Amino acid sequence: MILSNAVLQILQVGCVLLLAPLLQGFILKAEERVQRSCGPSIFQPYRDLWKLFHKQSVVPESASWIYLSAPIVAFTAMLIVPILIPVLTDRPLPLSDMGDMLGGGMILTLGSFAIILAGLDSGNVYGGIGSSRAVMLAILAEPTLILVLVGISLLAKAMLPFVVNHLLLGSLSVYWSPAHLFLILAFFTLLLVETDRLPIHSSTHLEIYMIDEARILEYSGPLLALLKWASMMKQFILYTIFCNVFLLPWGLSQLGGPLGQLGSAGSLLLKFLLVALVVIVVETVQSRLRFYRYQEPLAAGFLFAVLAIVSSQLL
Amino acid sequence: MFLAHVNSLQASIFSSLAVVSLLLTFVMLGSHWLRNYVYAFAVQSWLIAALSAAVGYFAGYPELYVIAALTALFRGLALPYLLMRILTRLNVKRELHAALQPSSSLVLGALLVMFAFIIANHMNRQSLLSARVVIMALTIMLSMKFIGFLMLAVRDEAVSQILGLLVLENGIFLGSQILVPGMPLLIEIVILFDLLIVVACFGMLVRFLVVHAGTTSSRELNRLVG
Repeated sequence: MILSNAVLQILQVGCVLLLAPLLQGFILKAEERVQRSCGPSIFQPYRDLWKLFHKQSVVPESASWIYLSAPIVAFTAMLIVPILIPVLTDRPLPLSDMGDMLGGGMILTLGSFAIILAGLDSGNVYGGIGSSRAVMLAILAEPTLILVLVGISLLAKAMLPFVVNHLLLGSLSVYWSPAHLFLILAFFTLLLVETDRLPIHSSTHLEIYMIDEARILEYSGPLLALLKWASMMKQFILYTIFCNVFLLPWGLSQLGGPLGQLGSAGSLLLKFLLVALVVIVVETVQSRLRFYRYQEPLAAGFLFAVLAIVSSQLL
Repeated sequence: MFLAHVNSLQASIFSSLAVVSLLLTFVMLGSHWLRNYVYAFAVQSWLIAALSAAVGYFAGYPELYVIAALTALFRGLALPYLLMRILTRLNVKRELHAALQPSSSLVLGALLVMFAFIIANHMNRQSLLSARVVIMALTIMLSMKFIGFLMLAVRDEAVSQILGLLVLENGIFLGSQILVPGMPLLIEIVILFDLLIVVACFGMLVRFLVVHAGTTSSRELNRLVG
């Protein structure tokens, strides 16, 4: 039995929506385990969301409509991106050519942009600081992202993530070419920066270190739940892109039967387990960088992307 | 010339060894710690030794095995050992006042790689696999030379200047291994001994500087004393 395209499309989004808190829970749990403490259950993010959705929402007096609409914009943006990328099926679904890789990147950034505006809008001091820091990071990270996208499209001669996935599946020599390996390194740097991990983001929640958390400090109740869920989904989406388009293109459902969908969800979780373990190693061995050294890991990422483009022209 | 008959497996082995050595040059360019420079240099020399051995194996030049062994011995062990001795004697751990921040020098290095690629690409317009290997070797050779010059220009600690010189030399050596693998054995040995003498002389100079000038940073050695 092969599911219809509409069902497959809904399944892609639903998978991101429902499994994103699980990934966050696993990373938090494993980090605590590495430090020899017990840690929260891996289902704790679900309980947090449930709790927040049942709380009252308090809105600052100075806030305008931007403050109220930002969580919804961010959440919706994260619901749109899974349509464009290979989450469960490796064949392009009908709506997946709505946007190419640049379009997906733009929608991802649109979500963060809405939250940055809301951080400024709330009138809180920390919100302003968080927004300005987040903008600085975005300015540093964006050139690398663009170069990674250019590099992968030079490799695949196409701008659609599905084509890249097929190319990597098809030929091992492209997979092991220096250009592709450098792109993996460059995207991994971006992954650490964009999903609030060390060496830039702090794992302890002190106001002075906060970047992404500071922007949403004023939120409470269901709006906060939406924002948290959106950030977990962003993490899940970036992991999906990293695994299915760059690092491990195998194990996706090709026909689109229910069993295949289940299997590719399972393999997705396995792949995330691997990537999350690497991320946890980085978080454990790295200390947080000073504010004026943020550009160093990002310059390294930029360098990897440039080297990838140069070597994709070579071989 | 053996590059005319290179197959895709050989091309990928050569290119990955060369690209990783280029990456190690960037480790030297981007790190704060002098000790890291020496480690990166040692690993780079081992990779170049492996490259010589690979070229010797695939192209059928048995004397390249000797070169590989000598490279590993001198550049991979003796030179890093001497540099480490200089470092421990000097008691400097990191480059404090580099003219460029590591991140900006990384980006500048990336631009230099692109420049090297453009130069190398102008020299050859064939699309054969052998031509691609030639372009790759030329690009990496030129970019390692440029980065060596960059390190000489922006660093002012004596040890990092020696390392800049050594990186420059490593680049030429790497290129020559791929492009002209039949270079006479004697010349290669002469180059290796030259390097040893360079480092020994630098060691003497550094000791002299420490005793007479009290510093090894070229930033503070700009006053003429008659």
